[in-house]
Amino acid sequence: MAVTAGGIGDSRRVEGLGLADTARHAWAALLLGWRVESNWADPVLFAIYTVIRPVSSMLLLTMMVAIVGGSADASSRTFVILGSALWAMLVSGLAGPAWSVLEDRERYRTLKYLYTSGATLLVLLVGRGGSRLLIGAMGSLVAILVAVALLGLRIDPAAVDWPLLLAAMLLGLPPVLALGIGLAAVCLQTRQESWNYPDAFSGAMFLVSGVVFPLAVLPRPLEALGLLNPVTWWVAGVRRAIIPGGPSSIGGAGSLWTAVTGTDAPGPAVILGALFLTGAVTTLVATALFRGSERRARDQGLLDRTTGS
Amino acid sequence: MSAPHSREPAAGGTPRAMTPAERRRAPDPRAAADWTARQTAETNLRALVGRAYPRVRGMFREPSWLFFEIFLPFLGTSAYVLVYRALRAPEAYVGFVVLGGALSAFWLNVVWSMAGQLYWEKSQGNLELYFAAPMSLMSVLLGMAAGGLAMSSTRAVAVLAISALVYAVPFHVAQWWLVAAVFALTLTALYGLGMMLASLFLLWGREAWHLTNVMVEPVYFVSGLNFPVGRLGAVGIAAIATIPFAVGLDAMRQLAFPGSGLLTGTPTPEAEALILVAMTVLFSVAAHWSMGVIERMARSRGSLSIRWQ
Amino acid sequence: MSPTPPDGAPLPPAIEVAALRRTYDVKPRPVVALDGVDLEVAPGEFFGLLGPNGAGKTTLIKILTTLLLPSAGTARIFGFDVATDTRRIRRIMNMVAGGEQSGYGILTVREQLWMFSQFYGLGTREGWRRVDALVEAVGLGEQRLQRVSTLSTGQRQKMNMARGLLNDPWILFLDEPTLGLDVSAARSIREQVLAWKAEIPGRTVLLTTHYMAEADELCERIAIVDRGRILAIGTPAELKRRVQRDSIFRLAVDRLDGGPAALARLPGVVSAALASDHAPDAQHVAVNLVLREDAALGGVVTALARMGSQIRSLGKSEPTLEDVFVALVGRGLADEADDTAPLPPSEADDDLAAAHAPSHDAEAGR
Repeated sequence: MAVTAGGIGDSRRVEGLGLADTARHAWAALLLGWRVESNWADPVLFAIYTVIRPVSSMLLLTMMVAIVGGSADASSRTFVILGSALWAMLVSGLAGPAWSVLEDRERYRTLKYLYTSGATLLVLLVGRGGSRLLIGAMGSLVAILVAVALLGLRIDPAAVDWPLLLAAMLLGLPPVLALGIGLAAVCLQTRQESWNYPDAFSGAMFLVSGVVFPLAVLPRPLEALGLLNPVTWWVAGVRRAIIPGGPSSIGGAGSLWTAVTGTDAPGPAVILGALFLTGAVTTLVATALFRGSERRARDQGLLDRTTGS
Repeated sequence: MSAPHSREPAAGGTPRAMTPAERRRAPDPRAAADWTARQTAETNLRALVGRAYPRVRGMFREPSWLFFEIFLPFLGTSAYVLVYRALRAPEAYVGFVVLGGALSAFWLNVVWSMAGQLYWEKSQGNLELYFAAPMSLMSVLLGMAAGGLAMSSTRAVAVLAISALVYAVPFHVAQWWLVAAVFALTLTALYGLGMMLASLFLLWGREAWHLTNVMVEPVYFVSGLNFPVGRLGAVGIAAIATIPFAVGLDAMRQLAFPGSGLLTGTPTPEAEALILVAMTVLFSVAAHWSMGVIERMARSRGSLSIRWQ
Repeated sequence: MSPTPPDGAPLPPAIEVAALRRTYDVKPRPVVALDGVDLEVAPGEFFGLLGPNGAGKTTLIKILTTLLLPSAGTARIFGFDVATDTRRIRRIMNMVAGGEQSGYGILTVREQLWMFSQFYGLGTREGWRRVDALVEAVGLGEQRLQRVSTLSTGQRQKMNMARGLLNDPWILFLDEPTLGLDVSAARSIREQVLAWKAEIPGRTVLLTTHYMAEADELCERIAIVDRGRILAIGTPAELKRRVQRDSIFRLAVDRLDGGPAALARLPGVVSAALASDHAPDAQHVAVNLVLREDAALGGVVTALARMGSQIRSLGKSEPTLEDVFVALVGRGLADEADDTAPLPPSEADDDLAAAHAPSHDAEAGR
């Protein structure tokens, strides 16, 4: 593994790393992340821990639908349940890299060693975030199973659009991780109390992602923001793949989408295309943000500080 | 070494309370170690202020929290408001969501800044210094809470005020004194619970952190963060009996939105105020007792200063 | 000798430890950190615990500072039991550890110290006054408004030292206080401690270290500890006299196949250990040899020739604490390369200077 003359921490050092090295580093970080996340408890306890948050979150929203009663039909319930179950993955993906920065800097005090290792910090954080995303995916899957078993969610495996599901997942997960990297860039600058920033950020994302209500209920500027958000398209794609013909979060009477395109709701190809485009832009912006934050952290000596209060 | 002792005895050798300066000049170590109840109480009070100090200072030193602790939570609360609007639920539910969103700031403060905090203090090397100092650890925990309260209160007031304005929430408070009493009792019971949890978590390493993490959504659900807790039936009653957040939130809702007809199946606000009094006493006593027991267990196991668990 | 309080009654020992034992229940088998330690330190004494890593020094300090309970035996601070009378002990003691990273990075030096002053019940203004005085005393005047997170290692340790003196303790526990510091910073810390202690009789210090020179310079009495047991207690001069009857040589060879152990097996050799200032990457191997008599040297020289080692230098030296340690423990600190942090070069130089200094009576300079 060659390291360029750019020196430790210089972004140019990545030039010396081949794709194989980068993949190896990301894989190692993913495995490390999995061990760090999972080895504090026995497997049964860890499994319970993994699902308890997403299931509770889903129940919270399902209850909101249930108490409204007659005015909320079965399709609304399915819409909300599926959206909230998927949300666990997003929250994990967002929190993963940010928490890795805070943990490695403040708790284990290894961030400086990671930074000065041969691997690039960005790749390592993607790996760490990936492990948390996988854990979040487990939570989402169990939440959906719970919804099928207890909440009357009906999923017909034969009707699931598996290619669309696979494509939405493959295209949707990188921008989710990219958003996490963006938050990691923020946490690189902020103090230890930033632990709940990912939660606060994902709570705000809830508003503009069409997870539990159609974007059309938002004011126009927020609706437009929602359409630029890759998470909106990811959730819409997964939802459409699992429940084909179900209600969509994008489009509908009075929506910006319908006003602009004249169609009631986007089709699978449009969803995937929009997911790819918005995802690519988000990934580029998040990477640039992280690079800028990394540079500033190095300039200000933030990589090995402890900041508790 | 037989030089005559240069420390001056306390005036007249009487057991009157020595000032801290006198205490440092006490004639011999045994006299210096004997403190009156007043001295002990004064030291604990000062420790409380001392520990709150960095948190309050931190608020001003790094203002990024204004965005993450006020603006984003407002957006998160808005998302739940819009769920009800999308479901065409009665407007009273919007008020429930706004109140829940505001009060959740205090639960988050208890969970993040108190219950799991001793684990962080251990990681940072502060815990053993706290134990080696003459004040009670309870005063340190209260100091953390008081410092965090400044930020939480700002968040709660901001979310409440902005949401109430934006979503035109109709509050109809008739018994202000009872609202104030219930609010104060909710805080005392919450922080009593926080202290109890903090002492229990003293024995653990990362488990404490993960338990802290897992106490957010499940507690939100059983406490009825966004809906009347009475609608959960037996689960809601159990929450009212055990979780200060649940009982405080329900009482505040009853007092802020009387006559909505949607808050059924729970005790009256007066009865819930009494429950909060009982919780305050119970949790405070339990926290004091468990802190003593668990400190001894931790000293026995040697876990007070083990880091990176 | 202990100071006498005004009422005439003698003070109890500052530290009184009897049959102290501490085990840790770790896998695969329990670890015995302290194995029947007996110790008494008089009020006003500067006492040192000298031993390698893992000897049990920090465990003993943790028990004495009420952070850890003994598994068996008793320990008292000025007569107060560490197991049951914790509050009283905490009112009159403080502690500082090497490499300590305590506090909150977001505060300034002054604010951080003030926060700790409140934990000891100092009044608000008194706290600020005391902090300002201590900040100046430890030489951090220029950094007093600097954030803690921006301090260098040496500055941070000076701040920790100021923290340890905030409550003007009767007994101060110093656990490797100069660990990782350069010569100048380490000397500054040592001077601060000595100056503070000299102000008022009765102030007691317990220092743990594995820097021989530091223990020699500071301590009135020293206990040599290894594997949870105290092997010897005495003044530095007394301890050195224990090995005075033996002949001590410092030997430098170009290489030494089989290490010092190869020499230790020779007839007439009491012990052979790598010198503590021996650098692993040095061009020669420095060994401290303890011989029963000078005549045994001939056998050593012959053996070295047989092993193909060339002697670079050979000299007789006065005993140092290191020789005492080697004689008692059977190995040198530098022999434990697996678990002992090497001395920073600057500290090594310091030790080297001390090792070659003429033998002196440790009591004389105090």
